Amino acid sequence: MAFLSVEHISKTFPGVRALDDVSVDFEKASVHALMGENGAGKSTLGKIIAGVYTPDQGIIKIEGREIKPTDPRIAQGLGIALVHQELAFCPNMTVAENLLLGGFPTNAGFMDWGKLREKARSLLHEIGSDIDVDTPLAQLTTGQEQMVQIAGAVGVNARIIIFDEPTSSLSTNESEHLFELMARLKARGVAMLYVSHRMDEIFRVCDTITILRDGKHVATEPIAQTNRDRLIRQMVGREVLMKRPKHLDQQPGEEILRVENLSSTGKFENVSFKVCRGEIVGMGGLVGAGRTEVATAIFGLDPRATGEVYIKGVKLPLGNVNEAMRRRLALLPEDRKRAGLVLGMSIMDNVSLAHIDHFSQMGFIDRGRELTEVEKLTKRLRVKAPNLETITAGLSGGNQQKVALAKWMVRDCDLLIVDEPTRGVDVGAKAEIYELLDEVACQGLAILMISSELPELLNLSRRVVVLREGFVTGELSHEKFSQEAVLELMA
Amino acid sequence: MSSPGKSGFSFSKFPEGGLIVVIIALGLLLAIFGGSVRLPKFEVTPDGKRVRVFETNPDGRKVPAFETVNKFFNARTIVQIAKDTSFFAIMAVGMTVVIITGGIDLSVGAIYALASVSGALVFSPYGPSGGGGATVVGILVTIGVATLLGFLNGAMITAFKVHPFIITLGTMAIYRGIAFVQTNGQSIGGFPEAFRTFVRQEYNGLSLVPLIVMIIVVIVGGIFLSQFATGRKVYAVGGNEIASRYSGIRVGRIKLLAYSISGFVAGIAAVLSLGYYGAGSSGDGQGYELNVIAATVVGGASLVGGKGTALGALLGAIILQMISNGLVILNIPQNYSQIVIGVVVIAAVLLDQFNAVLAKRRLLAKASSIKKEVVRSSDSHVSLKPKTT
Repeated sequence: MAFLSVEHISKTFPGVRALDDVSVDFEKASVHALMGENGAGKSTLGKIIAGVYTPDQGIIKIEGREIKPTDPRIAQGLGIALVHQELAFCPNMTVAENLLLGGFPTNAGFMDWGKLREKARSLLHEIGSDIDVDTPLAQLTTGQEQMVQIAGAVGVNARIIIFDEPTSSLSTNESEHLFELMARLKARGVAMLYVSHRMDEIFRVCDTITILRDGKHVATEPIAQTNRDRLIRQMVGREVLMKRPKHLDQQPGEEILRVENLSSTGKFENVSFKVCRGEIVGMGGLVGAGRTEVATAIFGLDPRATGEVYIKGVKLPLGNVNEAMRRRLALLPEDRKRAGLVLGMSIMDNVSLAHIDHFSQMGFIDRGRELTEVEKLTKRLRVKAPNLETITAGLSGGNQQKVALAKWMVRDCDLLIVDEPTRGVDVGAKAEIYELLDEVACQGLAILMISSELPELLNLSRRVVVLREGFVTGELSHEKFSQEAVLELMA
Repeated sequence: MSSPGKSGFSFSKFPEGGLIVVIIALGLLLAIFGGSVRLPKFEVTPDGKRVRVFETNPDGRKVPAFETVNKFFNARTIVQIAKDTSFFAIMAVGMTVVIITGGIDLSVGAIYALASVSGALVFSPYGPSGGGGATVVGILVTIGVATLLGFLNGAMITAFKVHPFIITLGTMAIYRGIAFVQTNGQSIGGFPEAFRTFVRQEYNGLSLVPLIVMIIVVIVGGIFLSQFATGRKVYAVGGNEIASRYSGIRVGRIKLLAYSISGFVAGIAAVLSLGYYGAGSSGDGQGYELNVIAATVVGGASLVGGKGTALGALLGAIILQMISNGLVILNIPQNYSQIVIGVVVIAAVLLDQFNAVLAKRRLLAKASSIKKEVVRSSDSHVSLKPKTT
């Protein structure tokens, strides 16, 4: 019998199915990796076990007995601890105060400072850390802060610890400390869930790997039986039958976008490539390779970007969205809820938002024209909603994405950058979006497509530029496409 | 896909409907429970003067005539409430614009005071004999100063990237302080009669100018917010600032505009106050910001941003004023009005939240029914499970 098991867990957020009938077993004294691209549902699964979210369906069992962690506090009581990126601390209080936030030791109502420090020290000692307990938390490095968090988590006699991307903000040295600690915890019999994007770490510290994709369970395998390529393929290698796009049969036209030595400190370095009229150029790479950052820099959203961007041979000043839009650039952002849509507004308002001045005369919105044009677009993109006044927050992922796309089709543009155009989108809408991108490319649009899904990237693009840790590692043309070739450049 | 506007009336499409219902209910309450009052009777002579009406009593003597009217439901009381409302309602329209962007303007009362004082300092030297020219200059200075102060708020908020609460908390003290320094705390009067009679002119004994100005401000504000491209951008900035930036909206400019509008309308209110009361002092409009914010919030604007209307601001101001005047009509001591208004503000927001929860539920139900439809209509080999919600 597994120590901890989740059975048939499903969880739906408005518009997205985050987890779909997922069942996994976790063992004692082992590190179990949860892998998958953004939106695969790995963090959601961790948060459900830790009581942050309540599942719509399914049960969680510890040693065969069902538990219901409806609240993080309940989960903690059961020995489940979550170590996550968003550190939930009071930055102005000391390490000791933060560690014992839930129950300060008191003496007749007065704070017992001596006991507080002593308890805090022993908690830190438990994980082999010697951070001064009187330091205000705000003065610690992120790594030290995380140690404090782990100390707090382990200290409550945790039997299950969920690490949600713990190393994303740590230095190499700090990560090493963390791994040593994990080894010690393992020796003590703790079951650990480890969510990370970093391949090297996974193979170093984990015993078992579970891969999730679009909220579904793909595979659970012992680390010894898998390898990097296999893993990436399971994460991104969806087999989707796709028609050969028509734009591949036409010759690309004149150069629309040329990027030369584009850099932004800490994000990407010396990125160069070009995109021509009538072609879709894919941009591949793992999460954190800097693809989204390159896209936002081209669109003028990164004020610190340096280098040169040319649109139709004419230099584009960086860091100015309005200038980019005036030069007929469009960007479908990666996170549509954060950057693509105003969720509280209607479909109509969202579609016309970027070009509202185009619908206006002397400042007045021409409602009639707005309605006709928006309706034309939503029909073309087959947005499914009761009417155009429907608030976008309630639409499904696919329909939201179509609305976000329609926004950039109000006026003709020359270059369309799409960042993960089919993330969190159902199968039907996915095919529709592929067809649409192909269609507009055939009509002469230049498209730069960022995608974490290899089949999507390989099927739809004429060329693929691959980034790895902020550098371009290579460019492949359609004839030379193979998953292996791209994977090699990515990893 | 059906086009919008075909479905029937619903409160979610006309959120002010609820407020109007509340106003009518309050009106009925006051009309029924307010009782009646005897007021002297007036009539208008052919040359336009209002004179007392006299009647002959049984003794054969001529005595002033009285009439018995409903304590609330008579032209005099209603116009009085409308006039009292107008100052707050006018400023609430500007506050609504600011609150829609997700900000707040605590300095409107101070802007009102500093604009009043500046206007008073311009009017005063002309004296009562000043004419139309003086009137125009004074009005322009009052409104101009107010707009500039609002602009400064917006400029600091966008340039320093400090929360509007802090900036306007600071300018609230600064602006009022400047007004005090300018006047040494003295009230300044002696304005051109031309200006005063213009603001105070009466129709049938009713002072309608503040009322008319209020209606114009609400209409213009309403058209700006709902019909102008810039108005739409105001909602977008408050609804999702990042998405707005990604859509090429110049977020800073929109905020600058919002705070300038808030200052501008505070200037309009200041002009009315100068004309109506004939004096300006640094103590004017003390605490107005809270009344104005209360009216805006009761009117349905959300402090989170992205929500609110000019009509809502007007109705919110009317409700608060009706309650405050209504207590007098119902012979409840005026001091209770603060308590009641506090309760109303909280109740209005709770009601609004409750409404939002209901709307969200309806929306989710609708969305999942659409999804089911999609599943049903899609090809059988696409394995999408219907949602079980």
